[in-house]
Amino acid sequence: MTTDPTAMRILAEITAMLVQTVGDEFLLAEEVTFDTTFNEDLALESIEFVALAELLRQRYGAAADLISFLAEKDMEEILALTVGDLVAHISGTPVSAPAA
Amino acid sequence: MAEILANSLRFHVHRLPAADAPGEAGATAVFLHGLVVDNLSSFYATLAVPAARDGHDIVLYDLRGHGRTERPPTGYDTATAVQDLTALLGALGLDTRPVTLVGNSYGGTIALRTALARPDLVAGLILIEAPLSGPWIENMLDTLSVAALDLEGSKVPKELASLGARKAARLTATADELLNRTSLIDDIAAGRVFTAEDFAQLRCPVLAVCGEHSELVPGAEELARHAPDCTIRVLPGLGHDVLQGGTDELRRVVLDRLAAAARPQPDAVTV
Repeated sequence: MTTDPTAMRILAEITAMLVQTVGDEFLLAEEVTFDTTFNEDLALESIEFVALAELLRQRYGAAADLISFLAEKDMEEILALTVGDLVAHISGTPVSAPAA
Repeated sequence: MAEILANSLRFHVHRLPAADAPGEAGATAVFLHGLVVDNLSSFYATLAVPAARDGHDIVLYDLRGHGRTERPPTGYDTATAVQDLTALLGALGLDTRPVTLVGNSYGGTIALRTALARPDLVAGLILIEAPLSGPWIENMLDTLSVAALDLEGSKVPKELASLGARKAARLTATADELLNRTSLIDDIAAGRVFTAEDFAQLRCPVLAVCGEHSELVPGAEELARHAPDCTIRVLPGLGHDVLQGGTDELRRVVLDRLAAAARPQPDAVTV
């Protein structure tokens, strides 16, 4: 698990956005890690991803540049992403791999 | 920005600001999704993100009662849908310069109704598999009524939820509420199809996209015969599901159309 403070901060912020989007009866914050996938692990609906995208835009603005990040992906590919993939894109640097 | 109050209803809206495209002003396009089991997300990866990347301003919203928009018991007729859309355009500040409306299925019906009621607000129409004329109201009522009976008192949503199939549970629960606890079916039954006179009144360019095997092709052909400026594109091998089944070709057609809408008209050029 990374200890990069920027990545950890963004993970915490995205986790809070996910709980806000999905509702805390369905999603507990402690379930979300860098390896969590939107579809397999969170069963996120497409519309919830769009709602999350809105919160990301409000929080990170144009810097998040979700459009170029997502432009070549269909919804299935988007939902197959991990939270870590999104964190890495937003922080602009790959989240460091777990120590061997 | 995600929630907009318009026509006394809280609408779920998602705006994709156009990507940077120096020296090029893009089109503004507002997308309208289909009935009951649809919501704004069906446009997101298919058309909205690619259009935003091409430099267009994109507005997605969930129709009344659908997705994450409020679900009141009444107001599912097309006249109210037009009021909802025009109020939303006003709330978003998009009522000063006409926009392109892109409608899928019943969203296309609402888009065309809006272009007739408020030609000042609509620069162009892109209608994807829109039911326009013929027996579509009867056919759709049959389908919706059977679905409503199946869902009435059904334990299916709860059973799905307990199995962890949250997405399927949400979808059936939403459909059950719309079909059995709102006036949607009655409102559609009270609707009327478009006439040749309606089509002839259209002032904006129209693109109608249909699947080759769709029962809605004759309606689109009638539209093309009577509307002053209408192009029809029939996508081979597809039925009603053009958006998901023919995404790549549909995207090319829609992006071409939006690029044309973004170019200044020759008579608008000033010295």
